[in-house]
Amino acid sequence: MASTSALVEATGLVKEFRRPRKAPGLAGALKHLVTRRFDVHRAVAGIDLRIDEGESVAYVGPNGAGKSTTVKLLTGILVPTAGEVRVAGVVPHRDRVANARNVGVVFGQRTQLWWDLPVHETFELLRDMYRIPAADYRRSMDRLCEVLEIGPLLPVLARKLSLGQRMRADLAAALLHEPRIVYLDEPTIGLDVSVKDRVRAFLRQLVDDGTTVLLTTHDVGDIEEVCRRIVVVDEGRIRHDGPVGVLRDTLASNSTVRFQLAAPAPLHLIRERLPDAEVTTGASERDLVVRFDRTLRPAGAVAATVMGLVEVRDLRIDDEGVADLIRRLHDRDSPAALNGAG
Amino acid sequence: MGPYRAMARIAWRNALAYRVPFLMSLSMMVFNLVAMFALWQALLGDGNSLAGFTWPQMKAYLLVSFFTNCLVSTFTDFAMASRIRSGAVAVDLVKPVDYQKSRLAEALGFALLEAAAAATVCAVVLVAFGGVPLPSPGRLALFVASLAAVVPLKFLIAYMCGLLCFWTQNYLGISLARGAVSGILSGATVPLAFFPAWLRQVAEVLPFQAVTNTPAMLFLGRNPGLPGALAVAVQLLWIVALWWLARRLWHVAVRRLTVHGG
Repeated sequence: MASTSALVEATGLVKEFRRPRKAPGLAGALKHLVTRRFDVHRAVAGIDLRIDEGESVAYVGPNGAGKSTTVKLLTGILVPTAGEVRVAGVVPHRDRVANARNVGVVFGQRTQLWWDLPVHETFELLRDMYRIPAADYRRSMDRLCEVLEIGPLLPVLARKLSLGQRMRADLAAALLHEPRIVYLDEPTIGLDVSVKDRVRAFLRQLVDDGTTVLLTTHDVGDIEEVCRRIVVVDEGRIRHDGPVGVLRDTLASNSTVRFQLAAPAPLHLIRERLPDAEVTTGASERDLVVRFDRTLRPAGAVAATVMGLVEVRDLRIDDEGVADLIRRLHDRDSPAALNGAG
Repeated sequence: MGPYRAMARIAWRNALAYRVPFLMSLSMMVFNLVAMFALWQALLGDGNSLAGFTWPQMKAYLLVSFFTNCLVSTFTDFAMASRIRSGAVAVDLVKPVDYQKSRLAEALGFALLEAAAAATVCAVVLVAFGGVPLPSPGRLALFVASLAAVVPLKFLIAYMCGLLCFWTQNYLGISLARGAVSGILSGATVPLAFFPAWLRQVAEVLPFQAVTNTPAMLFLGRNPGLPGALAVAVQLLWIVALWWLARRLWHVAVRRLTVHGG
């Protein structure tokens, strides 16, 4: 890959926050006034990230992993403690105005709509802020009104919108100036299933049209339906970086059958018959969990083997998806899980 | 429409959306004006003069002081402070506009409304309490220029106080302190002529006096000729100096920004 084609390039990115350390109570507060002590918290601890034009990247990790902080460093909201960022050739925190023209940002938990004014006022203000020519503005608005169905929301006061309506209006506000890269920080948080589907379909369309997208999320649906690349962070470092498709294909061969048994499971007997499967018990001794490779043996054969040994009351078959991978990635000491998947 | 004009316009629209708190804070200042009128009328009403102020002159002083009090008084710094504290400032930082110029544009938008409301009150008071000595047309022009300079000047003081929210999480204390300090040192509470010599000297080298004392003195014709023009020049110098200082402060402050979650 030629370094000139990178749209986002971050090297050795570090962000530290200082937290005041206060002992409890009034005495502690007074003591803090005299001897100020701080704990240094490394939210981002050395991240190298390169995103090329047209990529769609899911940026995932547990709460407090440093996802949002990374987005705020890439957008120039925060100034990094160390390291470098360039987005379309601009250092975002040094030249915020130039950077803002290239990027669009959506925060799931914040709005950029003017809260006490009708929605269309926000769009008109953004038009003037970005100096969008009248013809481009009309074209952009027509398209956004059509795909996000925000036409009926335009005369409504922003604070009267429901969460789903607000999110659609916020998406439109972030895309009005047709940015080259869009950062979405948990765009589907708190939305109901049908609104989620609409937002995802819209984002997929955006990616297909060639816009570069970086998405942080806890929602597997967002990742699988919108993104082609997944980057997993934990404790401020990147733990995994690769195509979503490869993960899905690898994991798709793994299946799990969960049995509810009439009696405690004879684990050693089952393990003897299914040597290449992972056999464990669940919440009680009567819950049996068998994980196996579907390409080696069909689920029916696994079920038949177990039923031959013990009375089965109920069973359920689960295919593994990206969700399981992320769950395992969240368990910190599981590099094996990572290697197995990659 | 250019970006900053558009922001000034939307600030004005926003002020109309908040007309109840706006009118409340205006009426608070009107009550204060009425109290000051009653107090000074009792002291000067029977033809006395104090520190060179007769009753008609004091009326003029109080009205100018009221007017400058109304300008840039309600929204700028509190809106800024609450956005910094809540982290909503993050959204402001990804817009293709300069932060300081944007806030000034908003302050100017509000100031239009504030000036209109204050002028209405002044007109009503003039009718109710009788006239005040009017300056010559040339003086009046200089006075209007100095009133216009009060807007960016008050804005910059409020703006820098708002920036302090990057260090402290509680804005109310800063705001009250600013109100007390600038209320005294600007001459809004009591004219500088009543100050002891040392305090007067302190006040004269600080920017606050340019907010109320300068336009009031121009209106009353206390500094005829060159000194009057110089007083306006000093206002402009303060605007330039504070603008630069505010920029430096912003660059330091924004490095301290911490936005957690979303």
